[in-house]
Amino acid sequence: MNIELRNELLSLGAAVVGFADLRGYLTGEIAHLDRAVSIAVDRRLNEDTVSLLVKLQKRTVRDLKSRGYRTLAIPPDSDRNKTTFVSKLYSLFNHKMAATSAGIGWIGKNGLLISADYGPRLSLATVLTDAPLEPDAPMEHSLCGGCTLCIQYCPSQAITGAEWSRSRPIIELVRLGSCRSHKATKRATDGKPNCGLCINICPYGRKNIEASEGKKVRR
Amino acid sequence: MATDEKRTELLAKLRNAVIQYDEDASKEGAQEALNEGMDANDAIFNGLVSGMEEVGRMFEAQEYFVPEMLMCADALYAGLDILKPHVKQLDLGVKGSVVIGTVEGDVHDIGKNIVKMMFDVAGFTVYDLGRDVPLEKFVEEQMKTDSDLVCLSAMMTTTMTGMKKVIDDLRKKNPNVKIMLGGAPVSQDVADKYGADGYAKDATNALKDAINMIASLKKMKDEVEARKAK
Repeated sequence: MNIELRNELLSLGAAVVGFADLRGYLTGEIAHLDRAVSIAVDRRLNEDTVSLLVKLQKRTVRDLKSRGYRTLAIPPDSDRNKTTFVSKLYSLFNHKMAATSAGIGWIGKNGLLISADYGPRLSLATVLTDAPLEPDAPMEHSLCGGCTLCIQYCPSQAITGAEWSRSRPIIELVRLGSCRSHKATKRATDGKPNCGLCINICPYGRKNIEASEGKKVRR
Repeated sequence: MATDEKRTELLAKLRNAVIQYDEDASKEGAQEALNEGMDANDAIFNGLVSGMEEVGRMFEAQEYFVPEMLMCADALYAGLDILKPHVKQLDLGVKGSVVIGTVEGDVHDIGKNIVKMMFDVAGFTVYDLGRDVPLEKFVEEQMKTDSDLVCLSAMMTTTMTGMKKVIDDLRKKNPNVKIMLGGAPVSQDVADKYGADGYAKDATNALKDAINMIASLKKMKDEVEARKAK
């Protein structure tokens, strides 16, 4: 079932697909759906990123349901319809936790999910299920090593430099207040809130970009 | 008009869409029902609500948990949104208008929203005050809308005490208004002590109680129709 589902999602445009065993990582309301399908899509698709994620998610839900399993699709963070009943539960769940548990990547010093191939340039969606999916090996430690580029380039000195590991998930990597106030200032000056330097500067996945952008039109 | 066969098929589709928490199927079924010229009331009560009744049973039997139940409710609303403009007002013999909200200091509104949904389905006019509602607001809204039912919800014992004040104030202004309480810390005892007329067991059972309410409404509707037929 794993291989079929993974290949199907990859063929439809997913960048990485991982399966995670989340026993012990979920709160009461959703604890019975302890397997996760973590779907990652290349963020550089821009507007198409979210619609692709939603499409892949629907496909996964249909697949699992047709086999008689339960599902709870947690939509991408940027596409949360707040008006539905089930959206109240979304805040109980963290996509990055599922992604690291599924071995897609680790949490970098910049607080973002980093994949060895794509760096911090992935967008995530998750489908929780009770299907007995074979879990992938989780990512236990950060592979950032001695690299401090994101710390140096962060305009608001928000990045603490602490190192993530799966056994210590609750640790302050980014001072959210500083990051937010920088975004607010930026919005006030040039109208665009997003800074994104810590994404752009990350050396992981750059090769991948250069290779693909050589083929495509350079933006 | 839809044939009997088609009607049965579509009702099953709507019912299953709710049970299987499939929003797309629910929308599709609702649209098909309209295209076939089916009665919207029929599609809602014998399709969507019948599915929700089954969900209530499964929830009680602990086959479904909170997330499934919430997704089922979302699926029901998806179909309801399409069918509702075509609903003929039910003649229930009761004036259906209700003020509902979670009392001051309390932000827990899942149970309240589900109860609200069932009132929506039953064709009540619902004045939803939302959550963390200042206590005077309930009385004001009741007076303004002349609603005959006020539903108060609280999830915490600390905020529950606010219900007593609302009930006292409501009784002073309007002794005839019916008041129903719901929420985790509330019990029949509390409802009696506070002087409420009704009580929905607790947040997780609110759905079941709301369904019972709908069931009795359906019964009333059938009786009214039977009387008319005579």
